[in-house]
Amino acid sequence: MDDKLFEILEYGVYGASILLILIGLYAVLTKRSLIKIVIGMSIIDGGIHLLLITIGYLKGGTAPIFSPGYEEAAAQMVDPVPQALVLTAIVIGFGVTAVALSLIIRLYRHHHTLEIDEIKRLKW
Amino acid sequence: MKKFLVILILAVLGFHLFEAFSGLGLGVTRFEKGVKDYYLEKTVSELHVANTVTSIVVNFRGFDTLGEVTVLFLAVSAMGGILYKRRHQTGDRSVLFSSSSIVRSGSKLLFPAIILLGVYVFIHGHLSPGGGFQGGAIIATGFLLMLIAYENFSVSHNTLSYIESFAGIFFVGIGLLGFMNGGTFLQNFLPAGVLNNLFSGGVIGIIYVMVGFKVAAELTGLIYTILHEKD
Amino acid sequence: MVGSPVLLIAIPLLAAFVIPLIGMIWKELVRIIPGLVLAYMLILSATLLYYVSYNGTIVETIAGWQAPWGINLDFSPLTGFLATLMSALGFLVWLFSYRFKRNVDFEPAKKYFIFLMLLIAGAIGIVITGDIFNQFVFIEITGISAYALTAFYTGRNSAEASFKYLMMGAMASSFLLVAIAILYSQLGTLNMADIASKMHTMNPTYKIIALIFFITGIGIEAEIFPLNGWAPDAYTEAPGPVGAAFAGIVVKAGVYAIIRMIFTLFDVPGAYDFLIAIGLITLIVAETSALRQEKLKRMLAYSSIGQMGLVIVAFGIGTHEGVFAALFLMLNHAVIKPLLFFSGSSLVFNSKKKQIAEMNGLGKRMPLMAAFFSLGAFAIVGLPPFAGFWSKLSVLSAAANEGLLLIIVLILIVSVIEIVYYFRVVNRIFFQEYSKEQSVVPHRPRINAMVAMFVLAIAILIIGFYPDAVTGILHNAAKDLMNTDQYINNVLQLGQSLTR
Repeated sequence: MDDKLFEILEYGVYGASILLILIGLYAVLTKRSLIKIVIGMSIIDGGIHLLLITIGYLKGGTAPIFSPGYEEAAAQMVDPVPQALVLTAIVIGFGVTAVALSLIIRLYRHHHTLEIDEIKRLKW
Repeated sequence: MKKFLVILILAVLGFHLFEAFSGLGLGVTRFEKGVKDYYLEKTVSELHVANTVTSIVVNFRGFDTLGEVTVLFLAVSAMGGILYKRRHQTGDRSVLFSSSSIVRSGSKLLFPAIILLGVYVFIHGHLSPGGGFQGGAIIATGFLLMLIAYENFSVSHNTLSYIESFAGIFFVGIGLLGFMNGGTFLQNFLPAGVLNNLFSGGVIGIIYVMVGFKVAAELTGLIYTILHEKD
Repeated sequence: MVGSPVLLIAIPLLAAFVIPLIGMIWKELVRIIPGLVLAYMLILSATLLYYVSYNGTIVETIAGWQAPWGINLDFSPLTGFLATLMSALGFLVWLFSYRFKRNVDFEPAKKYFIFLMLLIAGAIGIVITGDIFNQFVFIEITGISAYALTAFYTGRNSAEASFKYLMMGAMASSFLLVAIAILYSQLGTLNMADIASKMHTMNPTYKIIALIFFITGIGIEAEIFPLNGWAPDAYTEAPGPVGAAFAGIVVKAGVYAIIRMIFTLFDVPGAYDFLIAIGLITLIVAETSALRQEKLKRMLAYSSIGQMGLVIVAFGIGTHEGVFAALFLMLNHAVIKPLLFFSGSSLVFNSKKKQIAEMNGLGKRMPLMAAFFSLGAFAIVGLPPFAGFWSKLSVLSAAANEGLLLIIVLILIVSVIEIVYYFRVVNRIFFQEYSKEQSVVPHRPRINAMVAMFVLAIAILIIGFYPDAVTGILHNAAKDLMNTDQYINNVLQLGQSLTR
């Protein structure tokens, strides 16, 4: 790949993942709808997963899977550890999101609204 | 006003994060001797597993995966507990409605293929990209399709919880067998086999199949619980 | 030896998977099995602690890979002490809630016991694991069980409290992941001992950013000041025994994680002063808020946050005496707060609003509960013959040895506030007349609940009159925490000697 292009990519990937985290945080902090808050949470997770994967990238690297005849290719492989961590983190994020959605259903049952201002009985 | 403040805080946070991470560099070797070199070496030479990510997820960091499976199990139970209603409290207004006949026929056609693909993905988790979690998720999408297409398509909750429990018991049981045989929890006690064969990697393949069953059952259960929520 | 540390995690997980199956055969087993598992965990961790105090730390590898590569469990005098404390408390919480939801549906009861068991297993996992990402996984296990337990009552505002807790917990786990990403990108390893041994090679800027993200991430579980907004609501809305489990078990695990980061992993200068500052702020803010509360459980929740602030201050002193005092405080808090929660929730059992004002004159109607509550109140404010006195004394003497006069003054002032709000309640219980309008109808706790409270009361008295019974264990644990080199050696050395 062209070096100039690669430099742009470098800033682009980190920038994109951090931008995703910030967009998610913005949604969580300012939105008034519970569903949007949970969506924001998932966007943050997405940003962090992208960040982790980016850390494991190796220039010109291949997937960390050995094919027949290429058993010695370990030096050209990208870092498999962040990928494994992201797999775990995705599943955990999924579990948390599922619990959050079920709580939202419960809240909707009681209050018949999803606006946080109308639900807020406990002090935030 | 509040939005402005939030944007200001986020800008500061973003600036520092970006400064830190862009200094890392993309695609360069940052550390001399990290754990990853060891993993890449031992995956082929000792475990005889082609997919390094699988060997890390199931063997090197298998304890994480046990925790992860527990998190999913907890999420399903938590969802059931949180949405629990006594029988007489349930309403009859459902979110489900019948789909058009195109969707129905199409999904009936696709459903076996999706299940087959899912099973393929988790059986070959140690040879090719994919594994228990991915395969389980694919199978759950098949059930989601059927649930959307047919409003009276039902999955037995008892069956799901049998699959869930038995898969979980097998996972921990295999771990404990390793504990009794080889000395440590989750240790590989079966012959490693030949690289790139279906029966290679000892317990890794077995555990990942169990994980596949468990994830499929749990995700299906989650979707089913949410879709059959009535008020 | 009866087993190895990994069984502390594996057995409860196995039981959690078995319970739904067994519940289909005989429903009573759903209540009995968690108790058996918790009793087994208590016996196992106590025996291991005894073994460890003579033979040195047990480092257990998992899946047969040596320490920096595989995940390892570290059962040292410190972690063993915390694990034993947690499983003991877990057993008592189970005992207290054994007949919980007896008369209503089977489903919620089954879930309650699964969550309770996994909450305790997750907290023990946070403490004994030696791997930073594994710790994250256990934090999530603890977290999800805690959200589910908070939302357990369908009638009340519990879903809101739980949602709030969940949002903060989810933010926390995101921050933790960022911190893990930074650490991994710099050092290429996730093992705590390996990180600690390589930490000096890390760029200080990254070190500080990672530490900040870690503390924000774990601080939510540990209830440090700006991050504890969830705690009062969760404690108030959750069932009584769950409040006791949060105060006694979950928070301890969070504090342990912070302490492990600062004492062992990061050698950032000024981190100890930061601990003192954040602990003092937490202490003062929480105790002054507790003064203004009208609901009993809310008051107990703020008091619990304040106690954790005090623990963090004591850790921040950074000397052996300081760590010893902090561990002593943790032990006492873990014994006293559950007693307060148990007896308090029995006192306000039938009331709708759970307010302190409704407790007038209950001392005559439920003398034993009132006596337990007062015993807890006296002990936690630090009146001389009871348990809390010795721990507060040791904090003050540790601060005095370091010449930190400001801390001593502040702790004394806060103790006075504590005395005021606890004695307000005790005064109402014993010296106000019971009025007809009060909605509280005495509810006599069952025999199992009485036994649980009785055990805690005995423990308070034993520690109070004979503190030497526990100081040996605490000194060992404090020594273990202070000795970073030994921790690294234990974990990495064993890896070399156990080559397959």
